[in-house]
Amino acid sequence: MSNQRQASSASQTPHLSPAELSYLYTSLSLPKSPIRPDGRSPTQFRPLTAESNILPGTNGSARIGFADGTQAIVGVKAEVEKTVLSTDTLASGEGGESTAATSGHGSWVQMSIEIPGFRDDDALPVFLSEMMRESLVGAVVEGGDGGGDVMMAGGLKGRLVINKRWHWRLYIDVLLLSQPLSYPLPLLSLTTHLALLSTKLPKLKSQGEEDPFFDDDWEVAEYLYPRGSKLKATSGLASQYVRPPVTLLVVSVGENVIFDPSREEIAVADAVLAISVTRDTEAGNLKLLSIRTIDPPSRLTQPAVPNSENVNMLGATAPTEDIAVLNPATGEEEVPGVWRPRRGGVKRSVIANMIKTVLKKGGVGEEVLEGLEGVEVE
Amino acid sequence: MPLDTSTTYPLTRLRLDGRRWNELRLLQAQISTNPASSGSSYLSMGNTAIMCSVHGPAEGRRGEASGAAGSAGAIVEVDVNVAGFASVDRRRKAGGSDKQSSRIATTLRAAFQSHLHTYLYPHSTISIHVSVLSADGSLLAAAINACTLALVDAGIPMPGLLTGCTSGMSGSASTPRDPRNDELDPLLDLSLPEEQELPFLTVGTTTCVPVGENHMDDEEEETKVAVLNMDSKLHCTYIETMLAVGMDGCNQIRELLEGVIKGSNRG
Amino acid sequence: MNDRRRVNGPPGGTRPPVYASLLQSGTGADIRAQRQRQPTDLRKIFLKTGLIPSASGSSYLEFEPSASLAAARSNPKSLIPPSSALKLACTVHGPKPLPRSAPFSPNLVLTTHVKYAPFAARKRKGHVRDSSERDLGVHLETALRGAIIAERWPKSGLDITVTILEAEDDRWWGDVPDSHDASWGMMNVLAGCISAASAAIADAHIDCLDLVSGGVAALVSDDSTDSSSALPKLMLDTDPAEHRSIVSACVVAYMPARDEITELWLKGDSSKVSTADGDERSGHEALIDGAVDAARGAHTVLAEAVRESLQKALGQS
Repeated sequence: MSNQRQASSASQTPHLSPAELSYLYTSLSLPKSPIRPDGRSPTQFRPLTAESNILPGTNGSARIGFADGTQAIVGVKAEVEKTVLSTDTLASGEGGESTAATSGHGSWVQMSIEIPGFRDDDALPVFLSEMMRESLVGAVVEGGDGGGDVMMAGGLKGRLVINKRWHWRLYIDVLLLSQPLSYPLPLLSLTTHLALLSTKLPKLKSQGEEDPFFDDDWEVAEYLYPRGSKLKATSGLASQYVRPPVTLLVVSVGENVIFDPSREEIAVADAVLAISVTRDTEAGNLKLLSIRTIDPPSRLTQPAVPNSENVNMLGATAPTEDIAVLNPATGEEEVPGVWRPRRGGVKRSVIANMIKTVLKKGGVGEEVLEGLEGVEVE
Repeated sequence: MPLDTSTTYPLTRLRLDGRRWNELRLLQAQISTNPASSGSSYLSMGNTAIMCSVHGPAEGRRGEASGAAGSAGAIVEVDVNVAGFASVDRRRKAGGSDKQSSRIATTLRAAFQSHLHTYLYPHSTISIHVSVLSADGSLLAAAINACTLALVDAGIPMPGLLTGCTSGMSGSASTPRDPRNDELDPLLDLSLPEEQELPFLTVGTTTCVPVGENHMDDEEEETKVAVLNMDSKLHCTYIETMLAVGMDGCNQIRELLEGVIKGSNRG
Repeated sequence: MNDRRRVNGPPGGTRPPVYASLLQSGTGADIRAQRQRQPTDLRKIFLKTGLIPSASGSSYLEFEPSASLAAARSNPKSLIPPSSALKLACTVHGPKPLPRSAPFSPNLVLTTHVKYAPFAARKRKGHVRDSSERDLGVHLETALRGAIIAERWPKSGLDITVTILEAEDDRWWGDVPDSHDASWGMMNVLAGCISAASAAIADAHIDCLDLVSGGVAALVSDDSTDSSSALPKLMLDTDPAEHRSIVSACVVAYMPARDEITELWLKGDSSKVSTADGDERSGHEALIDGAVDAARGAHTVLAEAVRESLQKALGQS
């Protein structure tokens, strides 16, 4: 149990020896051209298989499997619910003009994550679901009258409003099918994104403030996130449609910024950030929604002992071999090739660099969003 | 909206989903779906869809396997998780596991603990993880079939395929059966609306020798009942019929699963 | 999850009624509290260590209630308090040996618990920790683990418990409860937790790289009157009750001596910000820098409190 608690903020640290950790760190922190254990480039993602609309019993669903075998399934279900107008709202009359009834409420989106081996209320599932929900309900589109679609004014929250008295409640259930091999955030976020893209709500037949009733023909159901016709998409207007946010896991090792880290890579990271982005409907570029630091597991690793301090090696080596040098990334004295668990935090410049790599035009964030749109949602 | 299955059936002799009394739902299955586990399977019977993964046989966790039970053979652990989106209405689970899934888990554990050749793997654990993606009746039966496939994929020795099926009666069957005027038909492979209204049982059977080319000849002697589970009330005169129908369904499913296993080897 | 061990109050909680006539004073002017501090002014912090003798380290932290609260108390116009304050206590137990069943750990194992008192916020909190409290616990753990030199205590554990006695509200009480639901108050609470826990850890004589302190900055668009083109402004140490609309907020845990951030939590739309001329920073950078400035401010209080506790300890011995 205590083992799981420890795994709360970081994923389980693999059992790597200090020598292996040091080797990994050195190769990943090579200036300009890090060497990753699987030969990927720093911004390259692992191959994955994705499909959506796999469960007919849900409003939207998706499955993504990473090449390492971890799979996640997300099912989205929607229910009609009565909007509880608080007495305050009624009393305040036209002054308050029931903002909740028009702009939606964050609690209408519920998210639960199930990871085998973890209880529902363990820290890791709670932290992950709060992280993904926060960016999901936070993605409010301002000025829906502009280039964006009118239907998505107010973001996801606004879309859930049926009329002043009724709204949709969205349940997003995330199911991880096996014990996570690496920090499961990218997998869960991508799968949730895909499931939300494929989510449909029945077409409303009632009008205005009537009690809602719906067209029972599923063929005419409308997408939760409206999508354009093929024609529009090809003419480059696809970016105008609101898309669900996607949360990327970014680590920094030395001066390098590495995306989609594997378990071994995350074990030596100096800093781990989860960055949520979505597409800005007005400007057409990416918008930052939230950042959270994740406890890097490198702080929990075992330190190595340099030869100069090792009693067993006394006199075996020339003392000149171990000369502490200053690691420019961490600002600490280190003996090369001798692993020391990371200490301290991360410099502001490093954070800025990581965010820039995600957000920049043609950067990784755009690439991921485009890739996900490429998954045909039928 | 509960659908009245017992009144429509005598008129048309067709069930709600258009099947006859002895028809199975469409069964689709796949093995080796998840490369991260020792064995895995996906199985759908009608709208019931289940994913199953097997880990092990692996060294048991420290402290657990040290007891007397751990030394004799492998311990089978089963974990059943019914997804929140599995049924029609989204169900909020309170604190981890609910009654239904823990009951299925207990039944599966008991069935496979005695079914598998666990003595080959002393001091080890075989853990089975069952995820119900969509629940539309015959959950336990589908879970048994999915577990069998995943265990075959994991290469864990067993005497024969353990398959499960449900059977029920097309009415409440509370009075003794009248052989001259038999109005009620037994039903095979119940869906959720049928399960909610009609008495039914789940039966799991196995063969004592591995399947061979001519195993059909003397099947009657070889089939063994490994799981039998009934929660509903019905007159005891109907049991035999239901059991016979259920076991016949198990044999049909066994052939289908064999096809899946052999087909995946070819591919 | 239900709390089955106690007789619980009504699930929705209770709150005093707010009447429409009270929202508008006689002249029609809004009685909503306005921020009277400069954008870069911080609230005063009261921080004292060593108040709980049974713990190996402890601290108590309080934010000065905003000026409007004192005014409203002396001359009440409404039942609605203009703003809330933050009061929290932190205890540290350990370092102590890990239980025998725990696996070997070469480092100090940190466990953090953040718990709201049932009466801490406007809405009653249950006795069982809910998801926001667990979430705060993870944030706090991340913030502290970077600062503690964990390898000096192998095979030991450290328990940090923060009890929040009064929590910052997410919005002004008089506002429609659903006007927005982002939990901005939680970020202030986290900043307070970080500073208080840091003081308590120092009080428990645990080796740290530096005193890590928490700071909050937010982008606020308060101008409801004029054109919508007004860009959100950067404010430090925001009290959510004093602002009509917070666009985005950021909390950091910062170590001034190393100029490093151990914990960063930013949320909201930070793409637009009104910056001074020649300031090329983008919104999120300005926000992070603002939060760091706020944390620097909190650090001076923290250092003073730790020095005080040390002097007391030296005086006793």
